[in-house]
Amino acid sequence: MSDDPRLALDFCGLRFATPLVLLSGCVGFGREYTRVEGFSNGDAGALCLKGTTLEPRLGNPAHRIAETPGGMLNAIGLQNPGVDAVVKEILPDLDFSETRVIANVSGATVEEYYEVTRRFDDSPIDAIEINISCPNVKAGGVAFGNDPAMSARVVAACRKATRKPLITKLSPNQTDIADNARGCIEAGSDAFSVINTLMGMAIDVESRAPVIGNNQGGLSGPAIKPVALLKVHQVYEVAAPHGIPIIGQGGVSSAEDAIEFLLAGATAVGVGTALFYDPLICPRINAGILDYMDRHGLAEVAQITGALRLNTPPATPCRC
Amino acid sequence: MKDPAPIALEQAPILAREAFADGQVVLRLHAPACAARALPGNFVHLRCDALLPLRRPLSLMRADPEAGWIEILFKVVGRGTALLAAKEVGEAIDLLGPIGHPFIPHPERPRPLLVGGGVGIPPLVFLSQHLRRDSLYLPLALFGSESPFPFQPRPSNILVPAMPAGVIACLPLLDDWGIPSRLASGQGFPGCHPGRVTELARLWLEGLDAPARRQVEIFACGPHPMLEAVAALAREFAVPAQVSLEEFMACGVGGCAGCTVRVETAQGPAMRRVCVDGPVFAAETVFP
Repeated sequence: MSDDPRLALDFCGLRFATPLVLLSGCVGFGREYTRVEGFSNGDAGALCLKGTTLEPRLGNPAHRIAETPGGMLNAIGLQNPGVDAVVKEILPDLDFSETRVIANVSGATVEEYYEVTRRFDDSPIDAIEINISCPNVKAGGVAFGNDPAMSARVVAACRKATRKPLITKLSPNQTDIADNARGCIEAGSDAFSVINTLMGMAIDVESRAPVIGNNQGGLSGPAIKPVALLKVHQVYEVAAPHGIPIIGQGGVSSAEDAIEFLLAGATAVGVGTALFYDPLICPRINAGILDYMDRHGLAEVAQITGALRLNTPPATPCRC
Repeated sequence: MKDPAPIALEQAPILAREAFADGQVVLRLHAPACAARALPGNFVHLRCDALLPLRRPLSLMRADPEAGWIEILFKVVGRGTALLAAKEVGEAIDLLGPIGHPFIPHPERPRPLLVGGGVGIPPLVFLSQHLRRDSLYLPLALFGSESPFPFQPRPSNILVPAMPAGVIACLPLLDDWGIPSRLASGQGFPGCHPGRVTELARLWLEGLDAPARRQVEIFACGPHPMLEAVAALAREFAVPAQVSLEEFMACGVGGCAGCTVRVETAQGPAMRRVCVDGPVFAAETVFP
């Protein structure tokens, strides 16, 4: 468990013990990884529970995952037991003293997003992440997240259902993420998660079929880090004037990666795919961030957020 | 709710390495925490290379809790297993385990029938290792492979009723333990049944009288069509069967739901994680 106060930060009024966030879909409903000896939820400032819908969902058929260069595709399809089971059967088993717990809300309609958020509002959950960017379901998900007007409608509906911090998880699969972020801020979003996975495909050349049962999936892992960093930077420019924080995420697998996200404008940094090969990566990243802070004479981790020094663009446009 | 057993994370040096035909490799690893808790049907989740984003799940073939080692047998089928096969004695492998719901024999079924196919053979060797400790059990192991077996078959010293003439080859390790075994292969290996392993299973089941059949429970691991055939046999002969499945796996600890299989439950269809709800399932739930 991390207890170095220099890593602690304020996120929408919540105290995070470290800037790390265990990402939705990677750590189940908060208990699964605690079986691994040496793992502690307390090494992260928060954990996001698996995406939750109003009714139970079975999710997609196999195969749901495929390894790709520098990453992986997944198409789980929001398998979950439904919000009532999560609130009544799973939350009572969680130790809320370990870390902050964030619910992840999904739905096929605006009304479903509202209802799931309302039910989490009446629970010990610390904050609610609105997943309008799941690429692996037929209705809702990224179909909402790639349409700025729909994104804002979903956020506005969830806003009516709760006063807990609302974090909107933005899709990288859209033309102008900053424009979408603007609409979500106006609709009442308190924070952003940037980014969800990038839509992709892998093909088995012998069978000539996509490896993933759902044909397409969401790409995560180190392969997407440069895309994620740029998106965080773009959203930061819109969100910072409103004091709206970002959980930067996409391929973080070292302290240096985490610091890049902080510099690009993230207040907290998500860890997901990297846990799959290194379940004890969080304490290593925490130690690396502290080492960086020592070397740069920084007293608190928030001083890194947005400290990016952009290069001066050339006076004449390039000819490419 | 009782907490499931902890999963160890160890840097496990390779103690011994043996290569067999068709890219089959046996590794013995020093992993005392894993060895102390390992049960037949458990697997380990191995980091084959620092640059690969995902680990690879491999069934345990044997474990020695006193000496602190485990053994795995795998076949090179892709990049991960190729990198694993290239490792040398002395190199350490990052290992997570043991993981998974094991095979569970039942004393009221003292005639376990073990059916293994290809790289599905290892967990049944491990189950044999456990069953030999209890004189109550009278197991029979039937193994099939289209690659040369990753051991030197030899004529068995133990008689098995209902086997066709000439089917005498066995896995020597099991014979030495006093556990009868027979082999099948379409490749015409000497002493092996020239067909499917499930054909041998059928012959043996047909040779039992009704009271003896009521003492049988099948334990199987192998390719999906073999498991499907085992489930059909179990239904036909009204004996319970436990099957060990494999699926592409990411976290290996139940966190990502990437390795699920559809099962039938009393409440209707459900998706279960092969890593922690399995890999061993009741056959009738997977093949209803």
